[in-house]
Amino acid sequence: MTVGYEAYLDADPVIITAALTGGVHGKEANPNLPETPEEIGRAAGEVEAAGASVVHLHARKPNGERSFQTERFQEIDDAVRRHTDDIIIQHSTGGTGAPDDVRHQPLRTDPPPEMASLDMGPLNRYDHLTSENTRALVDSLHAEMIDRGIKPELEVFNDGHMNEVEGLLDRRDLADPVYATLIFGPGTLTPPTPGNFLNAIDNLPDGALFNTLGFGRHQLPFATMGLLFGGHVRVGLEDNVYYERGELAESNARLVERVVRLADELGRPVASTTEAREILGLEEL
Amino acid sequence: MACPYLEYRKADGARSFDHERAYCAAAETFVQPMRADICNDRYDLDHGQHCEIFQTHSEGE
Repeated sequence: MTVGYEAYLDADPVIITAALTGGVHGKEANPNLPETPEEIGRAAGEVEAAGASVVHLHARKPNGERSFQTERFQEIDDAVRRHTDDIIIQHSTGGTGAPDDVRHQPLRTDPPPEMASLDMGPLNRYDHLTSENTRALVDSLHAEMIDRGIKPELEVFNDGHMNEVEGLLDRRDLADPVYATLIFGPGTLTPPTPGNFLNAIDNLPDGALFNTLGFGRHQLPFATMGLLFGGHVRVGLEDNVYYERGELAESNARLVERVVRLADELGRPVASTTEAREILGLEEL
Repeated sequence: MACPYLEYRKADGARSFDHERAYCAAAETFVQPMRADICNDRYDLDHGQHCEIFQTHSEGE
Protein backbone atom coordinates (compact mmCIF):
# COMPACT_ATOMS: atom_id res chain seq x y z
CA MET A 1 0.00 0.00 0.00
CA THR A 2 1.16 3.48 -0.83
CA VAL A 3 0.04 6.59 1.05
CA GLY A 4 -0.94 9.95 -0.33
CA TYR A 5 -2.13 11.06 -3.74
CA GLU A 6 -0.13 8.23 -5.35
CA ALA A 7 -2.36 5.75 -3.54
CA TYR A 8 -5.38 7.45 -5.09
CA LEU A 9 -3.80 7.29 -8.53
CA ASP A 10 -2.97 3.63 -7.92
CA ALA A 11 -6.65 3.02 -7.04
CA ASP A 12 -5.76 1.31 -3.79
CA PRO A 13 -8.82 -0.12 -2.01
CA VAL A 14 -10.36 2.01 0.72
CA ILE A 15 -11.39 0.53 4.06
CA ILE A 16 -14.66 1.97 5.31
CA THR A 17 -15.20 1.94 9.07
CA ALA A 18 -18.68 2.57 10.46
CA ALA A 19 -18.76 4.07 13.96
CA LEU A 20 -22.25 2.91 14.82
CA THR A 21 -23.10 4.26 18.25
CA GLY A 22 -20.33 6.00 20.24
CA GLY A 23 -20.42 6.85 23.89
CA VAL A 24 -21.08 10.57 24.05
CA HIS A 25 -24.49 11.32 22.55
CA GLY A 26 -27.37 8.90 22.06
CA LYS A 27 -30.96 8.74 20.94
CA GLU A 28 -31.56 12.19 22.45
CA ALA A 29 -29.47 13.49 19.53
CA ASN A 30 -30.83 11.17 16.84
CA PRO A 31 -33.49 8.53 17.57
CA ASN A 32 -32.06 6.38 14.77
CA LEU A 33 -28.77 5.88 16.63
CA PRO A 34 -28.50 2.22 17.71
CA GLU A 35 -28.00 1.65 21.45
CA THR A 36 -29.07 -1.89 22.37
CA PRO A 37 -27.05 -4.95 21.31
CA GLU A 38 -29.78 -5.99 18.90
CA GLU A 39 -30.00 -2.51 17.37
CA ILE A 40 -26.21 -2.36 17.02
CA GLY A 41 -26.14 -5.85 15.51
CA ARG A 42 -28.76 -4.95 12.92
CA ALA A 43 -26.93 -1.73 12.09
CA ALA A 44 -23.72 -3.72 11.61
CA GLY A 45 -25.49 -5.99 9.13
CA GLU A 46 -26.76 -2.98 7.22
CA VAL A 47 -23.40 -1.22 7.01
CA GLU A 48 -21.66 -4.43 5.97
CA ALA A 49 -24.17 -4.80 3.14
CA ALA A 50 -23.52 -1.16 2.22
CA GLY A 51 -19.74 -1.65 2.00
CA ALA A 52 -18.20 -1.17 5.43
CA SER A 53 -15.58 -3.72 6.43
CA VAL A 54 -14.99 -2.51 10.02
CA VAL A 55 -17.45 -1.59 12.77
CA HIS A 56 -16.24 0.62 15.62
CA LEU A 57 -18.22 -0.25 18.73
CA HIS A 58 -19.00 1.22 22.13
CA ALA A 59 -21.26 -0.44 24.69
CA ARG A 60 -24.29 1.04 26.39
CA LYS A 61 -26.83 0.19 29.05
CA PRO A 62 -30.50 -0.22 28.03
CA ASN A 63 -31.15 3.50 28.63
CA GLY A 64 -28.24 4.51 26.39
CA GLU A 65 -25.75 5.32 29.15
CA ARG A 66 -22.17 4.16 28.80
CA SER A 67 -21.03 0.69 29.77
CA PHE A 68 -17.46 -0.59 29.74
CA GLN A 69 -18.29 -4.10 30.94
CA THR A 70 -16.81 -7.01 29.05
CA GLU A 71 -20.17 -8.77 29.29
CA ARG A 72 -21.97 -5.93 27.55
CA PHE A 73 -19.39 -5.86 24.75
CA GLN A 74 -19.81 -9.63 24.46
CA GLU A 75 -23.58 -9.24 23.99
CA ILE A 76 -22.97 -6.65 21.29
CA ASP A 77 -20.35 -8.77 19.51
CA ASP A 78 -22.66 -11.77 19.58
CA ALA A 79 -25.43 -9.68 18.02
CA VAL A 80 -23.04 -8.25 15.41
CA ARG A 81 -21.92 -11.75 14.44
CA ARG A 82 -25.53 -12.91 14.12
CA HIS A 83 -26.29 -10.09 11.71
CA THR A 84 -23.06 -10.00 9.66
CA ASP A 85 -21.03 -12.36 7.53
CA ASP A 86 -17.44 -11.39 8.14
CA ILE A 87 -17.16 -7.82 9.39
CA ILE A 88 -14.12 -6.76 11.42
CA ILE A 89 -15.01 -5.81 14.99
CA GLN A 90 -13.17 -2.88 16.54
CA HIS A 91 -13.89 -2.00 20.18
CA SER A 92 -13.42 1.43 21.66
CA THR A 93 -11.19 1.66 24.71
CA GLY A 94 -12.08 5.31 25.15
CA GLY A 95 -13.79 6.37 28.35
CA THR A 96 -13.72 9.91 29.67
CA GLY A 97 -13.75 9.82 33.46
CA ALA A 98 -13.49 6.05 33.71
CA PRO A 99 -10.66 4.51 35.77
CA ASP A 100 -7.81 2.87 33.91
CA ASP A 101 -8.77 -0.69 34.90
CA VAL A 102 -12.26 -0.15 33.48
CA ARG A 103 -10.74 0.98 30.17
CA HIS A 104 -9.22 -2.50 29.70
CA GLN A 105 -12.53 -4.35 29.94
CA PRO A 106 -13.56 -3.99 26.25
CA LEU A 107 -10.45 -6.01 25.31
CA ARG A 108 -11.56 -9.12 27.22
CA THR A 109 -14.37 -10.57 25.11
CA ASP A 110 -14.17 -14.11 23.75
CA PRO A 111 -12.95 -14.01 21.07
CA PRO A 112 -11.24 -10.65 21.47
CA PRO A 113 -12.04 -7.95 18.93
CA GLU A 114 -9.73 -7.97 15.92
CA MET A 115 -9.05 -4.27 16.49
CA ALA A 116 -9.38 -1.74 19.30
CA SER A 117 -8.98 2.01 19.51
CA LEU A 118 -6.04 3.52 21.36
CA ASP A 119 -6.46 7.21 22.21
CA MET A 120 -3.10 8.91 21.85
CA GLY A 121 -3.50 11.66 24.43
CA PRO A 122 -5.69 14.16 26.28
CA LEU A 123 -9.05 15.41 25.04
CA ASN A 124 -11.15 18.09 26.74
CA ARG A 125 -14.83 17.38 27.33
CA TYR A 126 -17.40 19.99 28.32
CA ASP A 127 -15.92 22.81 30.48
CA HIS A 128 -14.40 20.98 33.44
CA LEU A 129 -13.38 17.54 32.24
CA THR A 130 -10.45 16.01 30.37
CA SER A 131 -10.04 12.49 29.09
CA GLU A 132 -6.41 12.16 30.14
CA ASN A 133 -5.21 9.09 28.23
CA THR A 134 -1.83 9.10 29.94
CA ARG A 135 1.17 7.42 28.34
CA ALA A 136 1.05 4.84 31.12
CA LEU A 137 -2.53 3.94 30.16
CA VAL A 138 -1.69 3.93 26.45
CA ASP A 139 1.18 1.51 27.11
CA SER A 140 -0.85 -0.79 29.35
CA LEU A 141 -3.73 -0.93 26.84
CA HIS A 142 -1.27 -1.60 24.03
CA ALA A 143 0.39 -4.40 26.02
CA GLU A 144 -2.94 -6.13 26.57
CA MET A 145 -3.87 -5.68 22.91
CA ILE A 146 -0.63 -7.41 21.88
CA ASP A 147 -1.23 -10.23 24.35
CA ARG A 148 -4.69 -10.80 22.88
CA GLY A 149 -3.75 -10.39 19.22
CA ILE A 150 -5.66 -7.13 18.80
CA LYS A 151 -4.62 -4.53 16.21
CA PRO A 152 -4.49 -1.02 17.71
CA GLU A 153 -6.17 1.81 15.84
CA LEU A 154 -4.25 4.89 16.98
CA GLU A 155 -6.66 7.80 17.47
CA VAL A 156 -4.87 11.08 16.75
CA PHE A 157 -7.06 13.88 18.10
CA ASN A 158 -4.66 16.67 17.15
CA ASP A 159 -1.18 17.37 15.81
CA GLY A 160 0.43 17.00 19.22
CA HIS A 161 -0.76 13.43 19.29
CA MET A 162 1.42 12.73 16.27
CA ASN A 163 4.36 13.23 18.64
CA GLU A 164 2.66 10.73 20.93
CA VAL A 165 2.49 8.23 18.06
CA GLU A 166 6.24 8.66 17.53
CA GLY A 167 6.79 8.25 21.26
CA LEU A 168 4.72 5.08 21.29
CA LEU A 169 6.77 3.73 18.40
CA ASP A 170 9.93 4.50 20.39
CA ARG A 171 8.63 2.81 23.54
CA ARG A 172 6.86 -0.20 22.13
CA ASP A 173 6.96 -2.63 19.23
CA LEU A 174 4.01 -1.97 16.92
CA ALA A 175 3.18 -4.42 14.18
CA ASP A 176 3.23 -3.06 10.65
CA PRO A 177 1.42 -1.31 9.27
CA VAL A 178 0.81 1.38 11.87
CA TYR A 179 -2.81 2.45 11.47
CA ALA A 180 -3.73 5.95 12.64
CA THR A 181 -7.09 7.69 12.56
CA LEU A 182 -6.67 11.42 11.93
CA ILE A 183 -9.51 13.27 13.62
CA PHE A 184 -10.74 16.74 12.67
CA GLY A 185 -13.36 18.87 14.37
CA PRO A 186 -14.00 21.33 17.20
CA GLY A 187 -12.43 21.71 20.62
CA THR A 188 -9.25 19.71 21.24
CA LEU A 189 -9.42 18.13 17.81
CA THR A 190 -7.30 19.31 14.89
CA PRO A 191 -9.09 22.31 13.32
CA PRO A 192 -10.88 20.97 10.23
CA THR A 193 -9.10 22.66 7.34
CA PRO A 194 -7.63 21.13 4.18
CA GLY A 195 -4.23 22.56 5.11
CA ASN A 196 -4.28 20.81 8.47
CA PHE A 197 -5.35 17.58 6.76
CA LEU A 198 -2.40 17.70 4.37
CA ASN A 199 -0.07 18.61 7.23
CA ALA A 200 -1.27 15.64 9.27
CA ILE A 201 -0.60 13.27 6.38
CA ASP A 202 2.89 14.74 6.01
CA ASN A 203 3.55 14.12 9.71
CA LEU A 204 2.62 10.44 9.63
CA PRO A 205 5.43 8.01 10.48
CA ASP A 206 6.95 6.29 7.46
CA GLY A 207 4.78 3.45 6.26
CA ALA A 208 1.79 4.35 8.40
CA LEU A 209 -1.70 4.07 6.95
CA PHE A 210 -4.34 6.59 7.88
CA ASN A 211 -8.05 6.64 8.44
CA THR A 212 -9.95 9.93 8.05
CA LEU A 213 -12.52 11.13 10.57
CA GLY A 214 -14.30 14.47 10.33
CA PHE A 215 -16.81 15.35 13.02
CA GLY A 216 -20.29 16.68 12.30
CA ARG A 217 -20.61 18.58 9.03
CA HIS A 218 -16.95 17.88 8.31
CA GLN A 219 -17.60 14.15 7.89
CA LEU A 220 -18.41 14.27 4.19
CA PRO A 221 -15.68 16.68 3.00
CA PHE A 222 -13.00 14.96 5.06
CA ALA A 223 -14.13 11.55 3.84
CA THR A 224 -13.72 12.91 0.33
CA MET A 225 -10.23 14.21 1.10
CA GLY A 226 -9.36 10.85 2.63
CA LEU A 227 -10.41 9.14 -0.57
CA LEU A 228 -8.39 11.56 -2.70
CA PHE A 229 -5.23 11.25 -0.66
CA GLY A 230 -5.07 7.50 -0.34
CA GLY A 231 -6.55 7.27 3.13
CA HIS A 232 -9.23 5.12 4.61
CA VAL A 233 -12.51 6.55 5.83
CA ARG A 234 -14.66 6.43 8.95
CA VAL A 235 -18.29 7.55 8.96
CA GLY A 236 -21.24 6.88 11.23
CA LEU A 237 -23.67 8.26 13.76
CA GLU A 238 -21.03 8.33 16.51
CA ASP A 239 -19.32 11.19 14.70
CA ASN A 240 -22.18 12.84 12.84
CA VAL A 241 -25.93 12.52 13.40
CA TYR A 242 -26.93 14.47 10.27
CA TYR A 243 -27.18 13.43 6.65
CA GLU A 244 -27.18 17.03 5.52
CA ARG A 245 -27.76 20.36 7.18
CA GLY A 246 -30.95 20.15 9.26
CA GLU A 247 -31.73 16.56 8.26
CA LEU A 248 -30.98 13.79 10.73
CA ALA A 249 -29.45 10.68 9.17
CA GLU A 250 -31.88 7.79 8.88
CA SER A 251 -29.22 5.20 9.62
CA ASN A 252 -25.53 4.44 9.70
CA ALA A 253 -25.99 2.61 6.42
CA ARG A 254 -27.08 5.81 4.66
CA LEU A 255 -23.78 7.43 5.62
CA VAL A 256 -21.82 4.40 4.42
CA GLU A 257 -23.77 4.23 1.15
CA ARG A 258 -22.89 7.84 0.43
CA VAL A 259 -19.15 7.35 0.91
CA VAL A 260 -19.29 4.18 -1.20
CA ARG A 261 -20.84 6.23 -4.01
CA LEU A 262 -18.09 8.82 -3.63
CA ALA A 263 -15.37 6.16 -3.71
CA ASP A 264 -16.91 4.69 -6.83
CA GLU A 265 -17.04 8.06 -8.58
CA LEU A 266 -13.44 8.78 -7.60
CA GLY A 267 -12.15 5.40 -8.67
CA ARG A 268 -11.22 3.99 -5.26
CA PRO A 269 -12.49 0.42 -4.96
CA VAL A 270 -14.09 -0.36 -1.63
CA ALA A 271 -12.13 -2.98 0.31
CA SER A 272 -13.84 -6.24 1.13
CA THR A 273 -13.38 -7.60 4.63
CA THR A 274 -10.76 -10.00 3.27
CA GLU A 275 -8.88 -7.13 1.61
CA ALA A 276 -9.19 -5.02 4.76
CA ARG A 277 -7.62 -7.78 6.87
CA GLU A 278 -4.80 -8.04 4.37
CA ILE A 279 -4.21 -4.26 4.26
CA LEU A 280 -4.23 -3.98 8.05
CA GLY A 281 -2.12 -7.09 8.61
CA LEU A 282 -4.76 -8.64 10.85
CA GLU A 283 -4.07 -12.20 9.78
CA GLU A 284 -0.50 -11.94 11.01
CA LEU A 285 -1.39 -11.00 14.59
CA MET B 1 -24.54 11.39 45.64
CA ALA B 2 -26.18 12.17 42.32
CA CYS B 3 -26.85 15.70 41.12
CA PRO B 4 -30.04 17.18 42.63
CA TYR B 5 -31.09 18.34 39.17
CA LEU B 6 -30.98 14.80 37.75
CA GLU B 7 -34.28 13.14 36.92
CA TYR B 8 -35.09 10.03 34.90
CA ARG B 9 -37.89 10.44 32.40
CA LYS B 10 -39.27 8.64 29.38
CA ALA B 11 -40.53 11.81 27.73
CA ASP B 12 -40.44 15.57 27.71
CA GLY B 13 -42.73 17.84 25.73
CA ALA B 14 -41.15 16.93 22.42
CA ARG B 15 -39.61 13.46 22.62
CA SER B 16 -40.27 10.05 24.11
CA PHE B 17 -38.07 6.99 24.63
CA ASP B 18 -38.49 3.30 25.45
CA HIS B 19 -36.41 3.61 28.63
CA GLU B 20 -36.16 6.33 31.23
CA ARG B 21 -33.23 8.58 30.36
CA ALA B 22 -31.22 11.14 32.24
CA TYR B 23 -32.93 14.53 32.23
CA CYS B 24 -31.41 17.72 33.64
CA ALA B 25 -34.07 19.74 35.44
CA ALA B 26 -31.74 22.76 35.49
CA ALA B 27 -31.12 22.79 31.73
CA GLU B 28 -34.60 21.36 31.05
CA THR B 29 -33.37 18.81 28.55
CA PHE B 30 -32.33 15.19 28.21
CA VAL B 31 -28.58 15.00 28.60
CA GLN B 32 -25.97 13.08 26.68
CA PRO B 33 -25.20 9.62 28.06
CA MET B 34 -21.64 10.69 28.85
CA ARG B 35 -22.91 13.65 30.82
CA ALA B 36 -25.29 11.30 32.66
CA ASP B 37 -22.22 9.66 34.19
CA ILE B 38 -21.27 13.06 35.62
CA CYS B 39 -24.82 13.57 36.91
CA ASN B 40 -24.61 10.20 38.68
CA ASP B 41 -21.07 10.77 40.05
CA ARG B 42 -19.97 7.52 38.39
CA TYR B 43 -16.38 6.38 37.98
CA ASP B 44 -14.05 9.29 38.75
CA LEU B 45 -16.71 11.89 37.96
CA ASP B 46 -18.35 14.41 40.25
CA HIS B 47 -21.17 16.74 39.26
CA GLY B 48 -19.97 19.49 41.60
CA GLN B 49 -16.52 19.49 40.02
CA HIS B 50 -17.21 18.53 36.40
CA CYS B 51 -20.62 19.93 35.42
CA GLU B 52 -20.81 23.56 34.39
CA ILE B 53 -24.62 23.41 34.34
CA PHE B 54 -24.73 22.42 38.01
CA GLN B 55 -22.17 25.06 38.92
CA THR B 56 -24.06 27.83 37.11
CA HIS B 57 -27.42 26.91 38.61
CA SER B 58 -26.13 26.32 42.13
CA GLU B 59 -24.41 29.72 42.07
CA GLY B 60 -27.69 31.33 41.07
CA GLU B 61 -29.66 29.89 43.99
